[in-house]
Amino acid sequence: MNEDATMGKMLSCDKVMRQLWDYLDEELTPERMSAIAAHLSGCNRCFPQYDFERAFLRAVRSVREENPPPAQQRERVMAALRANGLP
Amino acid sequence: MGQDPSAPAAETGFEEIAIPWLDDVARFSRHLTKDPADAEGLLQETFLRALRGWHTFTPGTECRRWLFTICRNTFIQGLQSRKPVAYDAPELEALAAAAVHAGAVSSGMGDIFSRIDLGDAIKCGLDKLPEAFREAVVLVDLEGMSYEGSAQVLGVPVGTIRSRLFRGRRLLQELLLAHAQDAGLAANRSFGPLKEGT
Repeated sequence: MNEDATMGKMLSCDKVMRQLWDYLDEELTPERMSAIAAHLSGCNRCFPQYDFERAFLRAVRSVREENPPPAQQRERVMAALRANGLP
Repeated sequence: MGQDPSAPAAETGFEEIAIPWLDDVARFSRHLTKDPADAEGLLQETFLRALRGWHTFTPGTECRRWLFTICRNTFIQGLQSRKPVAYDAPELEALAAAAVHAGAVSSGMGDIFSRIDLGDAIKCGLDKLPEAFREAVVLVDLEGMSYEGSAQVLGVPVGTIRSRLFRGRRLLQELLLAHAQDAGLAANRSFGPLKEGT
């Protein structure tokens, strides 16, 4: 059994749930990321919530507006900057 | 006089380094103000302040984060008052999220976010979040900033960002699940995949 899988089994479901958002945001140490990944891959209790939260984050990230501000708005900002010293 | 000689001279590089982030700051302004006219005013004031303070920008650091910080500070200064917001510990928020998931499963919505396009409802839900929570969700989830970067923009400790972010996500989930419930979007396997609005 590899070390990550061993660490994953050592983690309790409660500990994994407490760090699930940090895990999804990749804000944990590499060792903890590996341990939680190992736990999730073998835990029927934790995986469904992980899957739920992951789908939620994907849905939220998908609404990021990529539309740039209208050209006229950009021009007004640039004009104001030039009037204040921008070459 | 007394200016750090390693700092960029006034205006030098501003157009090359700061202006490319105009679209990002415009988007952040829209999330903060929720009003197109106010957003343009905030955008313009942000860049004017950035230009005036360009000599304080440290070359090689993240200019987008610096501009977001100016934008957010400018926005805050324009508010009459900010309501105090209560926070729970991040760990408690994480456990509360488990309760939201359990509720979603029991009402047939355990796969709602992967099954249905809730884009419009998410945009509405974001606008309904209290400002402190919306800021954290926008910076981390929409702008892809780290906890640390978001904390710098908002001028708060990383722990506060985690609290606000987790609470904001939970509130948004509750809004979306209520919307889905009201719209009759709970799973009904016998009818196959559902599309919102049908």
